[in-house]
This record gives sequence, structure tokens and C-alpha cells, in this order.
Amino acid sequence: MIHALMNMREDLKKYSDFLQKIRHFFSQQNVIEVQTPALLNAPTTDVYIDSISLSVNQDIYPKTQYLHTSPELEMKKLLTQGSGDIYQICQVYRDNEFGERNFNEFTMLEYYRLGFDIHQLIDDVSSLLVDLGIKDEVVKLSYAQVFAQFSDIDILNANFDDLRTIAQAHGLSTEFDWIEDLQIMLFVHLIEPKLKQLPVCFIYDYPSTQAALAKVKGQVAHRFELYLSGVEVANGYDELQSSESYQRVFKVENDRRRHLGKSVLELDLDFLKQLENSLPQCSGVAIGINRLISQIS
Amino acid sequence: MANYATSQFKNGLKLMLDGNPCSIVNNEIVKPGKGQAFNRVKFKDLITGKSLIKTFKSGESLEGADVMELDMQYLYNDGSAWNFMDPETFEQYAIDDDAMDDARGYLVEQDMCTVILWNDNPISITPPNHVILEVVDTDPGLKGDTAGTGGKPATMNTGVVVQVPLFISIGEQVKVDTRTNEYAGRS
Repeated sequence: MIHALMNMREDLKKYSDFLQKIRHFFSQQNVIEVQTPALLNAPTTDVYIDSISLSVNQDIYPKTQYLHTSPELEMKKLLTQGSGDIYQICQVYRDNEFGERNFNEFTMLEYYRLGFDIHQLIDDVSSLLVDLGIKDEVVKLSYAQVFAQFSDIDILNANFDDLRTIAQAHGLSTEFDWIEDLQIMLFVHLIEPKLKQLPVCFIYDYPSTQAALAKVKGQVAHRFELYLSGVEVANGYDELQSSESYQRVFKVENDRRRHLGKSVLELDLDFLKQLENSLPQCSGVAIGINRLISQIS
Repeated sequence: MANYATSQFKNGLKLMLDGNPCSIVNNEIVKPGKGQAFNRVKFKDLITGKSLIKTFKSGESLEGADVMELDMQYLYNDGSAWNFMDPETFEQYAIDDDAMDDARGYLVEQDMCTVILWNDNPISITPPNHVILEVVDTDPGLKGDTAGTGGKPATMNTGVVVQVPLFISIGEQVKVDTRTNEYAGRS
């Protein structure tokens, strides 16, 4: 019993030291820590991420609120108001998450660096990993390169039918409404298992069809993901800036939710209004703290 | 047979895949930061014994396989088939030679084996981990130690050849590990 208590204390201390190291890393670079509301008026419109809703003020003025699935939009509101470089460590909440590495609540580190492109941000995340004790060789590969290296698929030029033929050859489903879901399935089936052999791997320049909230140049979106021994740990973007570009993405996402029979969501009008000043050029990344720490110890 | 959706997948579940009954060895849920969830599933094909990996969209479903694992007693070989009996129902099953694989070298009358039935037909037989076999042929003593390993090959009454220590001679009963085909002691 005493032994168990000691272990608990040790584990807590380890986690606390880990958070301290992250805070030290940012304070050295003048990135300031912020806290934004977790209880929001609008849910996320992301097609495959579901907000947890709750009813508040039942006795006085009942309304529905949503737990944040990521602090992204709230932090972007701060960025439009001149916050400068900021980071946040917070709990986030998602509905319909289930599995060995997916939970309804998890800890996220999210940060934004003004003037950075994704390659500068990748370098910055790499130095954070070093400070946290991950000193393995950093491998950087574009999305097209990983597909070329681990399969023979020309992912940026393959059309929907090409990919369906490939999926069929592997005995996989070909019933997809959108090409990016098929790209992602082939990534999950053919590429991700191969990434297990790479301790630290950044994949960048995703097909424009998977742009999400990242800027698109030609065939690719300026996005990256970090895989530690095959486990996806971080997701970063060169962020969209204008209010119109966000409205466009939210509308597409809502159309898709409608198509899938999911609830169609009200847009965060407050956010769109704030963006009339435009977001300063910046790159941001979300890092799953629980997955990161499990790859360290 | 009922269909099973990805949310019902678990280790050991038997499903039909490309016409063969398979068993789930590992079920991994992968949900990319952006994009829908998938199940990356490792199966063992119960007929070929090979393992294979497939990825499914969350919500896809597969037909269940009517597969049963039973303990059965090996009775005798009548020249064309191997005959087993379910000791609970006394029902007898004749199993073709091609379903036997490596098991045929370890079948001793009266021994209990694990038999997998698919649609009531036997598709695989697993003998007990250890069986007692009789040496029917081996070189006498040290002369057999041609490889300098301290052991020599010996042919058993079932036809299987096992590496045995030099002191073992024809007519002796030895214990053999059926998983590794290794000598495991004198009986």
C-alpha cells in the first residue's frame, strides 16, 4: 500500500516536471501562456469531431453550451486582437471517441507562432521534443514522399477512381463520398504501420483535399503531422487568415455533416466577426500531451 | 450468420473474409486528427493459418463465421480419413487428409485434440502440446551423431522425424513437444 502511494507520488511528480519543462521552453522564447473558455456557445463544425453539449442554467435561463474540442478558435480570437505568440495547455472534450488511444477527455498543448511557416514550426516542435528528452533522429517527409517510399502510389496525382482501384486491390472498401477519406484510409492501411520504425517523423504538405484550416498552395496544403513511432501526436497548420476563408471551410464542413445525416451546426459568428481584422500570418500546432508522454516513458 | 459491425469487433471474434473464416487477433481503432475513424484489424485465416491485416471504415460490417472449437478424441485412421469423436455427443467426424497439415505426425489414438469446425466441417486440428511417440528407426548410439550436435534424427511411429539424444534406441517411447517438434524427455 505504501509502495503504491509512493508510485503515485512519483508518477505525479514526473508529469508535473514534464509540464514544467514545456512551460520553461515557452517562457525562454517569450511565448506566453493563456487560458481560454472551455464552455462555448458554438460547437465545432469539423465533420468527424463531435462536441459534447450540455444544458446550463436550467432554472433561470436554459441554454445549450458546448465543451471545446480544441482551444483553436478562442486562441485565434486572441491572436486577432494582438496577443502575439501564445500557448495553452488544457483539457479538451470530444464525443464519440473510443479506443486504445482515443478518449472523451484528453490534454492538449496548442501554440501559435507569428511569422512562422510550417518548416519553422516543425523545427520549433523538434527542439521542444529534445527538451523533453526525445533525442532521436528527426525524419521529415512530405505526404507524397511517404506514399512513394512505402507504397507505389502517386498520391497527389491519383484521382478518385485510381484510388478506388488500389483500395479494391487491397481488399478494402471503395465506398467513399470524398477522395480525402479514401486517401486517409490508404494512409492508415499502408503507411502508418511503416512509420512505427521511425521514432520521430514529421509528415508535411498534405493533399489540398485535406487542407482543413491550413493554407493551400497548388496541390498541397501547408499542414504537418508528427508521428512518434507510428503514433500520431501533433497536427500543425500555416493558418488561414481571412474571415471569408474560414466561412468557406465552415460551410463545406456543415454541408458534409448534412450529407452524412449529422447535426448541422451554427457557426461561431463571434469568431467570424472578430476575424474581420484578419488573423496575423502565423503557424499553429496542437499536440496530444497524453500520447506524447506515453512515447517518452 | 449474423453480421458484426466494427464497434463489435474484439479479439477472438470469428468473421468471414474473402470467403474464408478468420479470427480477430488484434483490433486497433485509428482516428486521424482530421478525418474519419478506421479499424485496422489483424486476422488469422483459420484455413490457411496465415495472418492478414485489413482496414475498415468505422461502421462497416462483416458476416460472422460459424466456427466452433471443440475438444475431440482421435480414434483411428481408416486409410482414407482420420476419425475423431466428440466425447460429449459421441458424434464422429471423419477428417480428410488435406485438413491435417502437420498434425498427422502427432496423432496418437485416444489423445484429445482441439478441432475447429466451420459450418460443421473440421478445418483444423491441434494435437496436445505433448505426445508420447515410439521410435521406429534411428542409428544406434553415437554413430548417429553425424552433425556433432549430441543428437541424432529418429523416425517415430507416426512418421514424423525428431532430433533425439544419442542414448535413445529403437522401440523406446519418447515425449515430443508438438509445437516445436522437439524431444521433451523419455516417457
